[in-house]
Amino acid sequence: MSEEESRPLPSAPPMAIPEPAGAFQAFDELLKTPQQVALRARQAGSNRPALLLLAGSLVAFAVYGAVAGLFTGGTQILVSALKAPLIVLLSLALCLPSLYIFSALAGAPLSRRPFLHIVAGFAGMLALLLIGLMPISWLFSVSSRSLYFVVWLHALAWIVAAAFGARFLARSLEIREAGKAVFLWLLLFALVSFQVSTWLRPVLWRAPGRPLFESGKMFFLEHLGKIAEMPVPKLEPAAKPAPATKPALPPVPKK
Amino acid sequence: MANLPALLDLLLYRRDRLMDDLAAGRKLARLWTGLVLVLIPCAGLYGIVLGGWHGGMLTLFVAFKLPLVLLVTSALTMLFNFFVGSLLGLSLRFAQVAVLTFFALAVASLLLASLAPVAWFFTLSLPEPSPDARGTHNLLYLLHTFFVGACGLAGSAILWRGLVRIRGTAPNLKKAYFAWVLTFALVGGEVAWALRPFVGSVYRPIEFLRADAFQGNVYEFIFTDIIPYLWRNH
Repeated sequence: MSEEESRPLPSAPPMAIPEPAGAFQAFDELLKTPQQVALRARQAGSNRPALLLLAGSLVAFAVYGAVAGLFTGGTQILVSALKAPLIVLLSLALCLPSLYIFSALAGAPLSRRPFLHIVAGFAGMLALLLIGLMPISWLFSVSSRSLYFVVWLHALAWIVAAAFGARFLARSLEIREAGKAVFLWLLLFALVSFQVSTWLRPVLWRAPGRPLFESGKMFFLEHLGKIAEMPVPKLEPAAKPAPATKPALPPVPKK
Repeated sequence: MANLPALLDLLLYRRDRLMDDLAAGRKLARLWTGLVLVLIPCAGLYGIVLGGWHGGMLTLFVAFKLPLVLLVTSALTMLFNFFVGSLLGLSLRFAQVAVLTFFALAVASLLLASLAPVAWFFTLSLPEPSPDARGTHNLLYLLHTFFVGACGLAGSAILWRGLVRIRGTAPNLKKAYFAWVLTFALVGGEVAWALRPFVGSVYRPIEFLRADAFQGNVYEFIFTDIIPYLWRNH
């Protein structure tokens, strides 16, 4: 056994917590008794529950992305469904080293297994909240004309989901200083995810014939500024049938 | 304690043991060497990212210069810190002050290294250097300053915990701590200014040191070239 694996972990549960049978049960447990996920992370056992949560989260992000893609409709539904999990995965990958170091320095040393389970729980919590907010996102995606409004709506949904994810993280780390470390890390994670979204743009709106990935490097605030400058399309007269996709917005000007 | 994983383990998970050794004055030379061995690669890694916007030689220069800023600042402040500690009744040997200082710097460097992927991604996804990219330069400058400043503060917070553990009863502990941090910040600012560029100017060629590196200090620059113009139109 390596030194890392033999390191004593705080608050080891007295009895083994049974593993969930499938992804639905894993998410049900995360929703109703999230402390069990954190406690199981500190037990010996398989990594299957964490992998179930991660795989289920990726599916949930894809579904949320597909709903977000309804703003444009057509093939963008598929494109958004592919890009949404990519945004979360890339943001997590970039921020995991700092989460590990922040938590260790705050006094919550975690070996690989608990870290994997807690990160999976964080991703699962994000997924749960996004699925919970999905009907609202759907309503605004299919009824809004302003890209700027929809971008802010998704940003708000993302912040709400991340806040609940951070709450799970802070409780799972089980130390007094964890709240501060997690709050700082959450800010970092939010900033990185906004920049990743800009890097992988367009996610919500793509004009016909435009490429799947826009070239040109840009800071996310600059991107947001350009979206704000885009005009809101005028409403079609009531007598005309509704178009299958949104009226063409001018493309985001490239720098 | 010669390998990096063992050093990182000590710094991340066994700081209490490190502090106990420090308080007892045990293995101080080995501790100090170990902390330097953490500091140099971690700060160097962040330096690679910091100089990576311009790329090329600046990447190498900054990978070398960022650890250098920390080492030079420590060398310049250590004696003063030792004197202040002694005068304020901390009863620490010079080697103990050295280990404490490098303990905070090693923690800050480790945090910086953990932020390197994030800083790298921002560098990668922002427009490349050109005379039109002044806004991007300023943005990156702000981002790196924030990261370095925040990691420095976190390092000093860890230093405070260490001081409390080994000299918790000393009446002037807080004064000594603030004196150390303030001195390091003031001197560190000037050392970094003298060793610029780090992000790299969009108007000037890449160079290891500016020709005017030692002509004027950062505080003169702030008080004569920045503050008087804050409330003027030009």
